[in-house]
Parts: sequence; C-alpha cells; structure tokens
Amino acid sequence: MAYRTDDWLPSYEELKVPELELTSSVLRAGSLYFGKYCDNQCKEFMLCNAELNDPRKCLAEGKAVTRCGFEFFGKVKKNCLGEFNQYWKCIDHSDSDMAFKNCRKTQAILDTCMTEKVGVERPPIGYFSKVRVHHTDRPKPQLKEHILPEPMPEPPDPKTTEVKTKIYPKYYHL
Amino acid sequence: MATSGGFKQDMPPSGGYGPIEWAKKIPKRLNGYLMFGGFIGFTAGAWLVFAYGQRILAKRRTEMNDARIAVSPLQLAEQHRMMLRRFRENRDEEAELMKDVEDWEVGSVNGKPVYHNLRDRFIMPSTEEYFAHVPWYRMYRDVRERYKH
Repeated sequence: MAYRTDDWLPSYEELKVPELELTSSVLRAGSLYFGKYCDNQCKEFMLCNAELNDPRKCLAEGKAVTRCGFEFFGKVKKNCLGEFNQYWKCIDHSDSDMAFKNCRKTQAILDTCMTEKVGVERPPIGYFSKVRVHHTDRPKPQLKEHILPEPMPEPPDPKTTEVKTKIYPKYYHL
Repeated sequence: MATSGGFKQDMPPSGGYGPIEWAKKIPKRLNGYLMFGGFIGFTAGAWLVFAYGQRILAKRRTEMNDARIAVSPLQLAEQHRMMLRRFRENRDEEAELMKDVEDWEVGSVNGKPVYHNLRDRFIMPSTEEYFAHVPWYRMYRDVRERYKH
C-alpha cells in the first residue's frame, strides 16, 4: 500500500455522496445543457485537478459538480420531462455512437422547452472545444518546500594540496 | 419461284448489295483543350464536394467532442471518489490482515515509507496494488472494461 496509517485520506463519510445514476444516453442527451448550466463548477473542478493533480484536495469541488448535476437534471425532470424523454430515447437508438445528427427534430422541441422553462440555451457547436478563460478566486497553490539534505564537503584542491598516491604501471602484466 | 423438289436459289436482295466499305474508319476525337478543361473542371468540382462534406463531418465531430468534454467533470468527480474509497478500503484491509505480524507498519517496508515523498504529492498506486485485495480476475476484468467503450 502506498499510504501509511498517518497519511491523509478522506474518510468514508466525506466520500459518501449521492451519485448521479444516469445511463450513457441520458448523459449524452443532457450533456451540452448540463455543461452550460454548471459551467462555473465544472471549470473550477477541472482547474483544481490541473493545478494540484491530487483528487484528495479537489473533493469539495467535485461534490459541487455532482450537486449541480442533481440540480440541473431535477429541473429538467420537473419542467421538460416529456421532451427530454423523447430526445434521449432518440439518442439511444441513434447510430453506433449516440450521435446527435439523427435527432434534430426532437432536439428542436427540447431546445425551446429548455430556453423557456429551465433557462439554458443550447451552446453553439464548438463551445466546449474552444479554450475558455476562467476567472476564479482560488489562490495559486504552492507546493511544500523541498528540503534538500546537507551538501557534501568540497574535495581538496589538487593544486594546493599535496596528494600522495602510489602510481601503478599501466601495463604491469607485460 | 418454287421449283420441283423444294429447291430455292439464293439471290441478292432486291436493289442489290450495298457498296463495300473499304475506307479506313477513324473515330471522332475530342479536342485536347476540351479534354484538359473537362478534367480540371471535374477535379475542381470533386474537390468542392469533398471540402463541403469534410466541413459537415468536422461539425459533427466537434459537437460530439463538446458533449464528451461537457460531462467529463461529472464522471471524473465520481471516479475520484470511488478511487479514494478504494484506497482507504485497501489500507484498512491491510491493517486487518497483518495485525498479527510483529513490527508491521502499513504502507512501509522495513519501517521505511515505500515512496520518497517529501512534498506530500499525490501518489497513484500501481494497478496490482489497487486490486490487491480482490480476486485476481477482477483486475483483468476491470482493466479490460475500460477498453470496451
């Protein structure tokens, strides 16, 4: 085990969070709207991961993302359940990779519902693929200081000190 | 002109045979300018069609990429929680398993920590270590699971 008893790992209570149990087609169908709705939380979480590279320290941000996901899908369920069900069922049977291209009609119906009731507009193509600047209040993380061991003493200078060594012949075996 | 015995003489068609074709026949050839022009025109048209199709495909790919990027934080957050829970389970399991062994410290070899980690960085354990306390086939199954989708 890489972790000793006194190494910090979050407890089971900290890790126990209601998980968003949705199948892939539902996630695919709601992905773009979810990304727009929870943009700030997602960016914050991904920034934390990129900066710290430590899942232990980004737990709170990850929980915020899941909470926001619950909030978003709850709103969808409350306001646009019929339209959303129609759309994800279409996505489920669309091509081998759940492509969007075959579901434009149901998508248009869902889009109008989303903009009117949930207040999320479907982002234009390439919105998430672009590089976007994120403004945050997170302080820039600093790694702990690396304490190096005591340096080795300098070797004696051969010019000033007389070093007596026995000189062996190069070809002693001949 | 039927004769006795059912015999009939073959005769030329009425009006006689046509003239014998003896001259060399050369098919009509296209003009060189026309051929080159046609080739260039067709190729240019094909290029246009190809470029148009590629743009449509690129749009589809970008949209798909967008959808993957949008849900990745959600999945990553859940994955991290699962992973950390497994680390803790592994550590508890090792402490329970080796409680009878004298001088056994969890996460250390001969009293020294396994990793030289002065700056308290996150250490990702190896696959074998992560799946240390489950049946061996679970490791292969779970690792292969990743490549299925």
